[in-house]
Amino acid sequence: MTKKHWIFVCLFGAAFAGCEPSNKSTPNSTGSGTAGTSSAKPATFTLAWSEYPSWSVFGVADEIGLLNKEAGKLGELEKKWNVDIVLKGVDYDTCLQMYGSNTADAVCITNMDTLGPATDRASVAILPTSTSVGADACIAVGVNDLEGLKGKTTRGLERSVSQYAFERILIKKGLNPKDYPFSNMDPGAAASALQTGDSNVQSIMVWNPFVMQTLRDQPKSKKLFDSSEIPEEIIDMVVVGKDSLAKEGGKAFASCIVETFYAINQRMADPKTADKTLVAIGANFSSLGLEDMKQVVQQTRFYKSPEEALKLLSSEEFRTKTMPAVAEFCVEHKIVEKKPSIGFDSADSQVNFDTSFLQAATSGK
Amino acid sequence: MHALEIRNLSHWYGTRRILNKVNLTIAPGQIVALVGPSGCGKSTLLRAILGTDPPSEGEVLAEGRLVTEPNRDVGIVYQNYSLYEFLSAEENVAFGLKLDKTSLISRFIALPAYLRKRREHLQMARDFLKKVGLEAAMGHYPAELSGGMRQRVAIAQAFILQPKIVLLDEPFGALDEATREDLQLMLLRFYQENLKAKQRGERPQYTIIIVTHELNEAIYVADRVIGLSRFHTEGSQGAMVVYDRPCPVFHPDDPKDLSKFVEQREELRSAVFDPNYVKHHSKYVSFWDELSNDALAVAAMNSR
Amino acid sequence: MIRRPIPRWLVVLLGILGVFSLLAVYGGLSYRQSLVNEKQKVIPGLQAFGDGVTRMTAPQGSEETPKPSMLVTDLRATYWRLFLGTGLGVVLSVVVGIAMGAYRWIAAPLAPIISFLAKIPPTAMLPIYFVLVGSDQTMFTTMVALGIFFTMAQSVYQSIVNDVKDEAIDKAYTLGASDPEIVYEVIWKQVLPPILDNIRLQIGPAMIFLLAAEMLVGAEGMGYRIRMESRVLNMSIVYIYLCILGFTGLIGDWCLLWLRKKLCPWYDR
Repeated sequence: MTKKHWIFVCLFGAAFAGCEPSNKSTPNSTGSGTAGTSSAKPATFTLAWSEYPSWSVFGVADEIGLLNKEAGKLGELEKKWNVDIVLKGVDYDTCLQMYGSNTADAVCITNMDTLGPATDRASVAILPTSTSVGADACIAVGVNDLEGLKGKTTRGLERSVSQYAFERILIKKGLNPKDYPFSNMDPGAAASALQTGDSNVQSIMVWNPFVMQTLRDQPKSKKLFDSSEIPEEIIDMVVVGKDSLAKEGGKAFASCIVETFYAINQRMADPKTADKTLVAIGANFSSLGLEDMKQVVQQTRFYKSPEEALKLLSSEEFRTKTMPAVAEFCVEHKIVEKKPSIGFDSADSQVNFDTSFLQAATSGK
Repeated sequence: MHALEIRNLSHWYGTRRILNKVNLTIAPGQIVALVGPSGCGKSTLLRAILGTDPPSEGEVLAEGRLVTEPNRDVGIVYQNYSLYEFLSAEENVAFGLKLDKTSLISRFIALPAYLRKRREHLQMARDFLKKVGLEAAMGHYPAELSGGMRQRVAIAQAFILQPKIVLLDEPFGALDEATREDLQLMLLRFYQENLKAKQRGERPQYTIIIVTHELNEAIYVADRVIGLSRFHTEGSQGAMVVYDRPCPVFHPDDPKDLSKFVEQREELRSAVFDPNYVKHHSKYVSFWDELSNDALAVAAMNSR
Repeated sequence: MIRRPIPRWLVVLLGILGVFSLLAVYGGLSYRQSLVNEKQKVIPGLQAFGDGVTRMTAPQGSEETPKPSMLVTDLRATYWRLFLGTGLGVVLSVVVGIAMGAYRWIAAPLAPIISFLAKIPPTAMLPIYFVLVGSDQTMFTTMVALGIFFTMAQSVYQSIVNDVKDEAIDKAYTLGASDPEIVYEVIWKQVLPPILDNIRLQIGPAMIFLLAAEMLVGAEGMGYRIRMESRVLNMSIVYIYLCILGFTGLIGDWCLLWLRKKLCPWYDR
C-alpha cells in the first residue's frame, strides 16, 4: 500500500466529514432564520394548503393581493401584520407530510388528520374554516339502499375522513360497520372506476369534487348517504405548529391568516363581489364553474365569521362528543398509537383549539 | 447427373439487367473458382444458386432438383458470418446433423432417443474437426477461435451434411497470408479425396464453387476457373460467363510453382477484367470441349 | 491518470467507507431534524426504526382469527403481483417480439404502434388501464404486464433485427432447418442473453408501475402501505419498505446475471 492510496482514503473521509457541518448550516424553510427585531425584516412563515373550497380561499387571497405567496414579497395584509407568508399549494397528502416534517409552519387540515402529526408536533388549531354537510358521500351503482349494500365492499381512502364518515354514519343509523366492508382506493380512482362501470367497484365513499362529478357523470349512480347526517363532525381547519407559533412573529402570522380568511368571506357575502369570488375559488378547486361552486358551498359550509367559528368551538357537542369520538376512531384504526391530549384554550394539550385569534377578530370588527 | 446445372439464368434489379442468360454445369467432385470484376453479379449468381434470391428468369438445379429456396442440397460458407456464436465448435459442426436428421418435436417428446443420436452426431462432428486439424479447439466458442480456425469449422459445418454443392463466398478474404495458404492446402486435400473416390467408383464428396478475388488462389485451389463479366460484345445486356477453362491441379505436397500460374493469370486478366478487350462472350468458354479433347491428359493428371 | 488501476484492498475499503459515510450522513440528518422537533418521525433514528419493525412484524387480527403481520401480508401481495405481472409481460413480449423478428408481415403493422406506445411512460397510462382492465386484484398483474410489454417487445424485436443476421437464417436453411427450428434454434438461442438483460432492466419499471397502481387502488401491498404510512408520517416503516424494494431489485439483478452466465456461457467470452 502506497502513500498515495492513503491520501485517497483520507480525502474521501474528509469529503464526507465535511458534509456534516454544511448540513447544519442549510437554511431551514420553517423560517427560523429571522430572529431580528420585529419592525425590521418580517419573519417568514409557510402555510401549506390543498385544493378544497374553504382552503382555496388562500389561493384567491394571493390572486387579489391580500397575501403574496412568494417569499420576500408582501401582500396587503402581510404588510399590515409585518409577516411574510409563503403559500405552498400542494396535494393534501403532501400538506400532511410538509407539516409533519416541520417544512411548513401551518397547514390546512381536517380535525381528524390533525391527531396524527399532533402526537409528534404539538399543534394549535387557530381557525375552523368549514364543515362537511354533504361533501363526503357514499355513492353506489346497482345498490339502492343500505340493506343492499350489506356485504358489498365500499372503496375509498382508508384511514381518512371518508372511512371515518362511512363508519360514523352507519353507527348513527344503528348499523354495524362490520357488515359493511371498506377497502382502500384512491378517491379519484374510485370515482373514475364507478363512472366507467368497473364491475368490481359498486360502491364508493369519496369527497368533493368527486361526489358531484360522479352523481352527474354516472346516471345509474345513487347517493346512499352523505356527511349531512353528521354535521360539524368533519371540520376543515388551519393548524399551526406550537413551535412555530412561539416564534417571533408567530402570533402575527396566525392573526394574518384569520383576517385573510374572513376578508375573503366578506367578499363572498357582498352581492357585488360574491359571484366573482366564488368563481375565483372554483378556479382554485378542480376548475369548477359558478353553478357547481354554488352547490359545493352548500355541502361545505363555511364558518363565515369569527362568531360562527367560536360557536362551534364552544359547543358542548364538539368538545365532549365529537373530538373524543374522532380520537377513538383514530386509535381503533391505528392512525395514532395513543390518543393525543385534546384541549380548548389549554396551552399544554397536544391539540389545542386556541380561540384567542378568533376572539381578536371579533373585537377587531 | 450434374451436381449443379444453371439454365438460361437472367436477373434484373428493376430495369437493370445484371445477369444475362448464364448457363453452367458443374460435375460432382469439381472445385470451381468463380472470378470477375467487382459488381459483375457474382453475389447475385451465388444467391440464385443458394436459393435466397431466385432468378428473374431461368432455373437452378442441384442434382436435378429445382432450387427455389435455401435447402440442404446447397451449402454455404460466408466470409464474415461464419459460425453460430452461441454454439461451440463441435456443436456448430453437429448443428446441421441436428437440424436435418431430427425434428424439433422429437427432440422434446423422444428425448432419450434424441440424446443417443446427439452423441453420434457430436462424434461425427469431432471426427470431421480432426480431419480439418482442429481437435484441440472442439469445445471452444467461436469468439475464442482465430479467423482461420473459424473458417475451418464453417467448412466442416457445411460439408458434414454432404450437400450436392458448397458455395464458398470469399472464404479466406479476411485471413492472413499463412493461414490462407493452410486453408488452400485443405481444399487441395479435399480434391485428392475426390479423385480417390472417383477411382473407387464412388460419388466424390466435395463439389465446390469458390468465389475469390485472388487469381492466384483461383488457379491454385480449383481445377476449373469461371469468369463472370460484362466486358464482351453483348455487355450492355448484363454479365455472362466469359471464361470457363480447366486449370492445373496441384497436389498438396507439390511446391507452389508460381510459373505455372503466369500464363493463365494473364489470360484471365484480359478475358475477364479488361474493359477494353472486346471479344465474343464464348471465346474462352471451352471447359467441356477441352475436357473431352484432352481426356487422356486429364486422366493422366488424375492418376497422380 | 484516468482509469489507473487501484489495488483490491482499496476498492473494498472505499466501498465500506462509502456505506458508512451514507449511514453517517443519515445519522447527521436525523440528528439535525430532531433538533427541530425531538419527536420527529421524518428522518427516524434507531429507536424509531425499532418501533417500526415491531409494528410491521406484529401479528394482526384478533385472537380467534389471527392474521399475518403487516410485512408478511404486504410482501406476499406485492411479490405475487410482481412475479405474475413480470412473468406474463415477459412471456407476451418475447412471443410478440420474436414473431415480429421472424415474420415481416407481423412486424410491419405492429412495429410502429409498439414503438410509439413504448415511448409513453406507463404510469401516465394508469387511468386508461383502470378503464381497460378494471380495478380488482388481478388487475395489478395486467398492469405490470402491460407496463413492461411495449418496451420489452420493442427491444426483443430490435435485438433480433440487430443480432440475428440474414446469413445466420439462410445458413440454417442450408443445414436443413424448418421454420420452427429457425425460431427456436437460431433466433431464440441468439437473443436469449439480451432478453435476460431486458428482464433485468424491466424489474425497476415493473416495481414502479406496481407501486403506483398499489398506491392508487391497493388495499394491501407495499405501495399501499408506503402511501398510508407516509400519509401519517411513519417514515421508519416507509424507509424499511423502500430498502426491501431496493434489495429486491438487486437480488433480481444478480439472479438474472447468474442465469445468463449459466444459460449463455458464450455471451461473456
